[in-house]
Amino acid sequence: MDLQAFMESLQAMGFATSIRESSLAYPIILSLHLTGMGLFGGMIAMTDLRILGLAMTKRPMADVHNQLRPYKHLGLTLVVLCGLTLAWSKAAIYWPNPFFKMKLACLGLVALHALVFRGPVYKSLGEMDKFGKSTTVAKFAAIISLFLWISLVGAGRWIGYWEAPQPTF
Amino acid sequence: MQFEGYDPANNPLNTNEWAFPVCEVLHIVGFAMLIGTITIVDLRLLGVGMKRQSAADLVKDTAPWTLFGLVLVLISGPLIFSSDPNLYMHNQSFRFKITMLILAIIFNWTLHRKVAMSPNPGSMGAVVGGISMLMWASIIFAGIFIAFV
Repeated sequence: MDLQAFMESLQAMGFATSIRESSLAYPIILSLHLTGMGLFGGMIAMTDLRILGLAMTKRPMADVHNQLRPYKHLGLTLVVLCGLTLAWSKAAIYWPNPFFKMKLACLGLVALHALVFRGPVYKSLGEMDKFGKSTTVAKFAAIISLFLWISLVGAGRWIGYWEAPQPTF
Repeated sequence: MQFEGYDPANNPLNTNEWAFPVCEVLHIVGFAMLIGTITIVDLRLLGVGMKRQSAADLVKDTAPWTLFGLVLVLISGPLIFSSDPNLYMHNQSFRFKITMLILAIIFNWTLHRKVAMSPNPGSMGAVVGGISMLMWASIIFAGIFIAFV
């Protein structure tokens, strides 16, 4: 089955249709999506900025990371669940949008970032604290993380500005 | 209130394809820094997290980045507003947002800060932390609803 047809069938499901057509459900879920970013996106940035030595430098890196971790996870869950619901409700409309695919690619890179750097960076912050500074790899991971987070916001915003080509007859 | 004699059609935000979305991205990054850092203090005040240091320590730790976020939203916000001032001025959700924003800024840099910096914020801290999170969340909601009312 081709993907566009699959997206059409996702979007045609009952709950997706009711969200898409409701004047309240869509903006409320979108607001929750942004509130999740507001409350917890800044926390991701604070961990990265701490590793780069630009924020909360009086606290050990492991302390900053470990204390913020559960809230970042909670925030990520909220943002992803809301995002998925929004995407599902307009799946066939979003699928042809190149910025939507770019956003999906960024999300894939976020997962890859977590897989690659969890051991050498985020689980090793206590070791780095003993030497009083972060490793080059840790700084690299922090910069990539900040870059990915801004890219996700950017791709998300640009989804709204892309116009599907009109069929010409 | 009307903005007579100002034609937003010539505003670069309306003539340049990139200018408006770039402002929006800066606005989102800005409010994430602003509200995210305040939430770190709120979690401590509510007694649910960040317990390895006092609320006062957290305020001092995060203050420069809270201010950085505030500056970003206060630059990008008015730019977005300038793209169509009459539309925003007559939008109920926008009016609510600006009212709450002014209250939240005053609250954060007066009562919130005073309680967080006190040696033992206790239950007063929990109340202030809860109000703070609700106020900032309401501003994000109102911001989104500008496009839906």
